[in-house]
Amino acid sequence: MPMPALLEVQRAFAGALLREYDRGVWPDIAEDAFSAPERLRIYRNTCRSTLVQTLRMTYPAVERLVEREFFEHIAGKFVERHPAGSGYLNEYGAEFPAFLAGLEAAGELPYLADVGRFEWALSVAANAVDAPVLKPGALLAVETQHHAALRFEPHPSVSCLELAYPADEIADAVLAGDEAAMAQVDLAPDSVCIVVHRGPNGLETERLCARTYEFVARLCAGEPLAGVIEAAPEQAPMLLAQQLAKGRLSAFTIDA
Amino acid sequence: MIPASAGVGLRFAHHRTVLDERPAAAWFEVHAENYMGGGKPLAYLEAIRRDYPIALHGVALSLGSAEGLDARHLRRLAELAGRIDASLVSEHLAWTASDGTHFPDLLPLPLTEESLALVCRNVEHAQQVLGRQLLLENPSSYLRYRHSTIPEWEFMAAVAARTGCGILCDVNNIYVSACNHGFDALAYLRALPAQAIAEFHLAGHRVRKFEDGRSIRIDDHGSRVAPEVWALYAEALALFGPRPTLIEWDTDVPTLAVLLEEAAHADACAA
Repeated sequence: MPMPALLEVQRAFAGALLREYDRGVWPDIAEDAFSAPERLRIYRNTCRSTLVQTLRMTYPAVERLVEREFFEHIAGKFVERHPAGSGYLNEYGAEFPAFLAGLEAAGELPYLADVGRFEWALSVAANAVDAPVLKPGALLAVETQHHAALRFEPHPSVSCLELAYPADEIADAVLAGDEAAMAQVDLAPDSVCIVVHRGPNGLETERLCARTYEFVARLCAGEPLAGVIEAAPEQAPMLLAQQLAKGRLSAFTIDA
Repeated sequence: MIPASAGVGLRFAHHRTVLDERPAAAWFEVHAENYMGGGKPLAYLEAIRRDYPIALHGVALSLGSAEGLDARHLRRLAELAGRIDASLVSEHLAWTASDGTHFPDLLPLPLTEESLALVCRNVEHAQQVLGRQLLLENPSSYLRYRHSTIPEWEFMAAVAARTGCGILCDVNNIYVSACNHGFDALAYLRALPAQAIAEFHLAGHRVRKFEDGRSIRIDDHGSRVAPEVWALYAEALALFGPRPTLIEWDTDVPTLAVLLEEAAHADACAA
């Protein structure tokens, strides 16, 4: 039998890890007291349990809401469909909230996906690379005629969330095990705007009204300041100063 | 500079304790992938680095990947090594990625001339980007390939000879693989080049027993070092002399005091 090329062996091995029925690599594996599928199962189980544990650490409130056993089940299903794309596992699980949204079995908890989105934003904020924080004084050197053309770069920890449910309140209540607080959360769908970032004192979450949220979201999306101001013309200077003070902006450019 | 004494694997649960109590640990080793972001983990590591030497231990560089190394991951590793002025940087004889999918486990390589050439190429590339010597660790394994032609100990020695990398000799992994595949653990140690041995690893493992009487050893880093592994470590010390030795513990992580007890035991073996 010719010796298989390493690239082909690794692709076949990967196939067996991703799909239990995939037997492509079996003939390459030495069998003795344990068969090839038994030996492969050890590796498959480790990969699966590591990714499930990664999701568990990123989505603790989701786990509390659905309880441990069901979380294990749905996380396992997610892992089957979404293998990791990077060895840096803090990047794993971004699609989990969307997966929750499409989960029929979670229909009794319509807010589950929003809680997932909120927890993903917390994870992004916690793990984002360190980056400079733009000091308000840096703008003093910008001539007035260029103000309209300013574009800001958000700190990499910033997420702007427009949700239908108060995911922040739900997550706080469920993680604290505070049933009274949970009972008081208004679960009627509405528009809930939250900005999450990592400031000098750690993770910060802030609820914003619709107009302020639009200003911040457009600012953090890198729109020119002229357009951002339209969201809240009278409050714009104050809102911009607030974003700078909170450390949500890292840099700026000026459109030519 | 890492002293030739025992250090412990630093885990998140112990960051605060280390900073508050400044335990008498000789050095710490961290998993590189846990610090590739920013924020609190990296801030803790930098604070701890001011008082202790730090070794970086990677688990996802995929040195055995036929597709070559992930440039982004290698760059992150190099940046982290530079940022914390790592005293040692190590990775595994394993592959973890294929066709853009990452597998969070140390997958075994067929030990062939093709694999040897490839691993040497990848190690040389990594050393070039890192600008320093890399240590290569022998993994625990649960399967072998029919077409492997080179014993693992010869493979490790050949990579070290061809690339100038060091060997991170994981004594527990040698013992686990020897039990799982039926080779002589002591013969493995004797075949390694003493001058290339730059670090030892020690950890606990468990025996998974099946109802039909079969068993397999799983390298889970979830308990104290087994007596048989301490005995093999004594043989390694006799063969190679003292080297930086790490106590690894990754599941059911105990108090720092327990890890320091294990480190003290390792130091006593080397005294």
